[in-house]
Amino acid sequence: MKPNSNRWQAILTGLAFCSSLITYANDNRPAVAPPGHPPRPQGFHSFVGANVIVSPSLTVTNATLVINNGKVVSVSPSKEAASGSRIWDLKGYTIYPGFIDPYYVISPDGSPVMTTRTTAEDHDADHKASGHWNFYGMPGDELDPGDMGPGSSLSTVHPEYSVLDDWAFKSGHREGLRNLGFTAVHLSPSKGIFRGKGAVSLTGEASPNELIQSNEGLQHIVFTSRDGKANEYPKSLMGVISAIRQTLLEAQDFTRNPSQNTSQVYNPSLKALEPVIGGKTRVLIEPGSVLMASRASSLMEVFGVRYGIIATGQEWRRPDLIKQIEAPMIVPVNFPEIPKLPEDDDWEAVSLDLLRNWDWAPETPALLASQGHQLALTLYSLNDQKKFREKLKQAIDRGLPKQTAIAALTTVPAELCGLSESMGTLVAGKLANFTIVKGEDYFTPKNPIESTWVQGRRYPNNQFESDQDKNSKDENKKKDINTEYSKRFARSPLEDHPSKQRPDTLLIKNATLWTSSFMGILERGDLLIQHGHIIEVGKNLELPESDLGSCLVIDATGKHLTPGLIDAHSHSMIMGGVNEGTMPSTAMVRIEDVINSETDNIYYQLAGGLTIANLLHGSANPIGGQNAIIKLKWGEGPDGLMFKEAPGGIKFALGENVKQSNWGDNKKTRFPQSRMGVPVFYENRFTAAQHYQQAWSRFKSGHGARPKRDLEMDCLVEILEGKRWIHCHSYRQDEILVFLRVMERFGVQVGTLQHVLEGYKIADEIAEHGAGASCFTDWWAYKFEVIDAIPYAGSLMHERGALVSFNSDDSDLARRMNLEAAKAVKYGNTPPEEALNFVTRYPAQQLRIDHLVGSLEKGKHADFVLWSGSPLDSRSTCLETWIEGVKYFDLYTDKERTKLRTGEKAKLLEKVKKEAGYQNESTESEEEMEQKWRHFFNLALEKQNEGRILHCDD
Amino acid sequence: MKQGLIRILKPSLLLSLLAFNNAASTLAESILLKNGTVHTITMGDMEQGDVLIENNRISLVARSIDTPADQVIDLEGKHLYPGMIAMTTTLGLLEINAVRSTLDTTEVGQWTPEILSWRAINPDSELIPVARANGITHAQPIPLGGRLSGQSSVIQLDGWTIEDLMIRPAAGLHLFWPSMSLNHTPKALSHNFSSWKNPKEQAKERKTQIAQITEFFESAKAYVRRKDADDSTLAVPNWESTRAWVKGDIPLFIHANEKRQIKSAVEWSMEEKYSMVLVGGRDAWMLADLLARNEIPVIYEHTFTLPQQDVAPYDVQFKAPKVLVDAGVQVIFSEGSNRFAASAVRNLPNSAAQAVAFGLDKNMAIKGLTIHPAQLLGLEKVLGSIETGKEASLIALNGELLDIRAQVTHMWIQGKPVSLSSRHTRLYEKYRNRPRKHTEN
Repeated sequence: MKPNSNRWQAILTGLAFCSSLITYANDNRPAVAPPGHPPRPQGFHSFVGANVIVSPSLTVTNATLVINNGKVVSVSPSKEAASGSRIWDLKGYTIYPGFIDPYYVISPDGSPVMTTRTTAEDHDADHKASGHWNFYGMPGDELDPGDMGPGSSLSTVHPEYSVLDDWAFKSGHREGLRNLGFTAVHLSPSKGIFRGKGAVSLTGEASPNELIQSNEGLQHIVFTSRDGKANEYPKSLMGVISAIRQTLLEAQDFTRNPSQNTSQVYNPSLKALEPVIGGKTRVLIEPGSVLMASRASSLMEVFGVRYGIIATGQEWRRPDLIKQIEAPMIVPVNFPEIPKLPEDDDWEAVSLDLLRNWDWAPETPALLASQGHQLALTLYSLNDQKKFREKLKQAIDRGLPKQTAIAALTTVPAELCGLSESMGTLVAGKLANFTIVKGEDYFTPKNPIESTWVQGRRYPNNQFESDQDKNSKDENKKKDINTEYSKRFARSPLEDHPSKQRPDTLLIKNATLWTSSFMGILERGDLLIQHGHIIEVGKNLELPESDLGSCLVIDATGKHLTPGLIDAHSHSMIMGGVNEGTMPSTAMVRIEDVINSETDNIYYQLAGGLTIANLLHGSANPIGGQNAIIKLKWGEGPDGLMFKEAPGGIKFALGENVKQSNWGDNKKTRFPQSRMGVPVFYENRFTAAQHYQQAWSRFKSGHGARPKRDLEMDCLVEILEGKRWIHCHSYRQDEILVFLRVMERFGVQVGTLQHVLEGYKIADEIAEHGAGASCFTDWWAYKFEVIDAIPYAGSLMHERGALVSFNSDDSDLARRMNLEAAKAVKYGNTPPEEALNFVTRYPAQQLRIDHLVGSLEKGKHADFVLWSGSPLDSRSTCLETWIEGVKYFDLYTDKERTKLRTGEKAKLLEKVKKEAGYQNESTESEEEMEQKWRHFFNLALEKQNEGRILHCDD
Repeated sequence: MKQGLIRILKPSLLLSLLAFNNAASTLAESILLKNGTVHTITMGDMEQGDVLIENNRISLVARSIDTPADQVIDLEGKHLYPGMIAMTTTLGLLEINAVRSTLDTTEVGQWTPEILSWRAINPDSELIPVARANGITHAQPIPLGGRLSGQSSVIQLDGWTIEDLMIRPAAGLHLFWPSMSLNHTPKALSHNFSSWKNPKEQAKERKTQIAQITEFFESAKAYVRRKDADDSTLAVPNWESTRAWVKGDIPLFIHANEKRQIKSAVEWSMEEKYSMVLVGGRDAWMLADLLARNEIPVIYEHTFTLPQQDVAPYDVQFKAPKVLVDAGVQVIFSEGSNRFAASAVRNLPNSAAQAVAFGLDKNMAIKGLTIHPAQLLGLEKVLGSIETGKEASLIALNGELLDIRAQVTHMWIQGKPVSLSSRHTRLYEKYRNRPRKHTEN
């Protein structure tokens, strides 16, 4: 006979009370305890009458779950308890398989951790490091003298570290997790870029020796530049990516057949990456932003690494890019809450982007699920874990299917951790890890958790009673929240890019055509375009007889038409730092890795007629990073922006910046510190590159061992081989001349001299060398080395035969390069037609893309701008900007854009204020306030430089 | 009663300043400028007109003047304008921004009305001839640093000594309004943990800061009242320096950019019945009516600032002057005082031209470079237009002032021809004449 459920209820509760008194130590006791200690309870239980969620897709109602010796014995639809078992009447309860958190990040001291950009971390990297990546010049000034033991040369790369080296998974953490239904977590390490191995632990109360389920934990990579010593490479996002790439390359080399290698020395860091390279161990990557998730994915694909991505919760920014990632996504539920702001007006100043982020966040899990991603949920970065169920409910209200949610808490993380055999479902033979919830549904936060069972041991929820009471009270209070405003008001950023259709055939008639070609300026000229290319330029053109497809004819009478403008020096679309300013040579870093396709700068510059930008690394070091030439195809992702046919380039720099003249008095030891040292540095690096080149060619011809791949050297060899063009930031005539001569000695022709402010003094030599001169007119006198800059420089160099362009190096100027060109008319009387070439044909020639763009000529890309008048007249404005036959900017769409976005912000403000009104004034602590503040105003990496002007020095 | 109204500037003060100046640079000769397009600013344009300069002054403007003159200059095909006035600039106070030893722009301290910018102007700054070469004849250098940074001066850009340059030693007090927007940076990301303030504290702080401003000005007035009543009161330099403002002789320039910052400054000055000039004015267009209603002129420094709000249209800062002028606000253009501003002050007309491209009436734009700044500085009887009796500070260009391609061909300051050569033209000439390098072949 079973007691009636009310009495059972009392007994259950009584038990809960008792066991909490004896504390959890009982679970460790052996079956036969020493005298004086109560023995361990029997582990044979039947749970009768509950709804048992066996797996996400199988729920057995009114079922009986039998467990024994810490494992599941059976789940049956009958109400028969196993004979000899202890019987629990669970009518009205639901049993869930124990939840698993795949990304439980703990620091060695056990404090809560938020990695990537959300907290400032301390800089006490004490991990092993050694090696040579420290070309810093002065003996004794190396960042890493190698006395920390073998391993990577970077202190932030320590894949050999294991979270088990510092056991910090304390009882308090485990109890909190159990009370939410978590029975296991994958512990993840908290520091560095390659962080090391995790481990799976149960959340029960026992010695670590009994809790650890697998030390075959996952490896961790985080895109962070916060750790590491003060001046240590890498300190920029692109540096981080390069460090990851170099490390994986070395690991690849390491796992290669030893006979192929130059020297096979033992390296614990690389050894630890063997299973990663082999595809055996999965890597969890925390990229910290949406665009970087996409970048991380493509990087891992290159190395054939299995991986999972920690979502940022901002996937709404670029769902199209996220969709292409073929990897499980681990999703935090730290949806931002509305912070209290002192005055109503303070809300007006909050950007649309932040409001969108708040409104979209709870939809992230549903969004990712709808894309078919494998989804796991995590408590990661949720400061108040007690809010987990509330947040989860928000996600479900916003479309996350419950079944997917269950899988995201059970089977998916089990599989990620390689523990599907023992966890994730309530199938016979698996661990008896489960949670008993009163009522039908875990996802209704008011249904209290009665107990959580780990390895067949019961851990009652001490709050059970009070939760029951509280929830029934709360119910009345919260009635009218989440009704009218429960739906999303924020639009998708993709909607800011109206669908762009390319007419198959486009004929523009009667424009004043500035062809930037031998045809000069054509009055009342016509331009015929098909499939994104120019077919004909001339007068009185007719539509061809052939198949036109979709066709558009534009009458441009009275208007001027120029080729799309080209900026040979820009930093406007770079995220995570313009400079990797640590080492004097960072040839391995790539701007292509960190193109910011989401910045409004693209739009603002398009609105000024710009179609192509040469994104350059800053000027903090003699050898900077590799450039990226992009087309401003607003709406495309980073890869879609890349001008694929453009040859590679690299930023070099001379003068004050590279010798750290204005970096403060404590920066005096990095080589070079004078203009004497700069050429020496180049000679050093290019000679090293020659050695490297020779070693490889010997290896390839069958002589000698396989040299170690070195991404810095790879890049310099490309320069030696004429495959990569140098764009060199330079000011003084002496340094420019010396630089040209040094490069000539290595047989290298310099692509462009950037800024080249004193280039006018040596115009003949520059012309003779064949380097392009990419300069500007107005930047002078802001530092000592620009004291002799003159606005006439462009005209003068042009007059003397150098190939001259004007660049912006500035997110504002890039919006009006046509007016920069006009300054060549003002200063030095360059004829107007030639002046325009300074921002069209000549920069195209300098960037070696003039066979495709830069002029209106047959066969070239249909990149062009329609102006209200002469492009060199201050009174003219840009009316339309087209790239490859697609219109990316016009005034009508701009008005619509502003209207939609303004309206959207107004609605979001209404929603946010309404919801803020529900907040209970008195209960918020200082810390809660700071937390809300921090989450809400956590500006996306993609949006950190909006409204700012980036220069070389930034 | 409104204080500090520039329109009631005391004539006696003005006259004494002029006398001081004339003594410094008197030229007796007369110059007749013939056949140029004369842009009088205040009385329309004359397609072909003549201007006679006598005793440093414009003595006649007419279709045709046949009076004999010491010098006759044919300006056929050229455009004649009054010289431009570069407002709220650091020109003359610094040479090379990155070289600390060349900076005299900024003083320490929060309340320093006794700081006068003219005392640190370097008449031989290489930046001055460069500014002149594009048509700037006068400037208003301002001191930076602190809440009340000090007093700006007005100088002309030609003269042997700092006293030759002087037009007005004290042209106004410069008050930098406290920020009214919240700093959203979370504590964890802030560079300085100890100075981080939570939103409540920030809100409190902005109120306190305004109270401090009120207190300062009240104390200043109290001091002057007491001193006037009792001459034996000992002078206090700080308070004494506010006397001209207390007496209504100089205006209060309030620097503010963000919408609420501007609103707060305007409301404060209205409540205190102080007349103000708004400097910066990035978001001023949003408060155009408020500014118009209270007759507050705007020195607009943000034509080329990137949009600061993500819902703003791309051309919001280009269009702002039109919005303001349409509402009835007087707009004056300035390149401001950021680190590049002094070396790039020559681009001043380009800011106005951009506003014209985006809708502003051309004549209003040019007034914003000439007569409007002159009015603001109490110099409307002397500068800012081509009118009989005014000082002959003129420029001629081979195109219109707002055409970016146009070149300045002549400049006169107080009737004296001024050289347009500069470090730039000298280096240009030098290297243009470098003999061609002969390569072997």
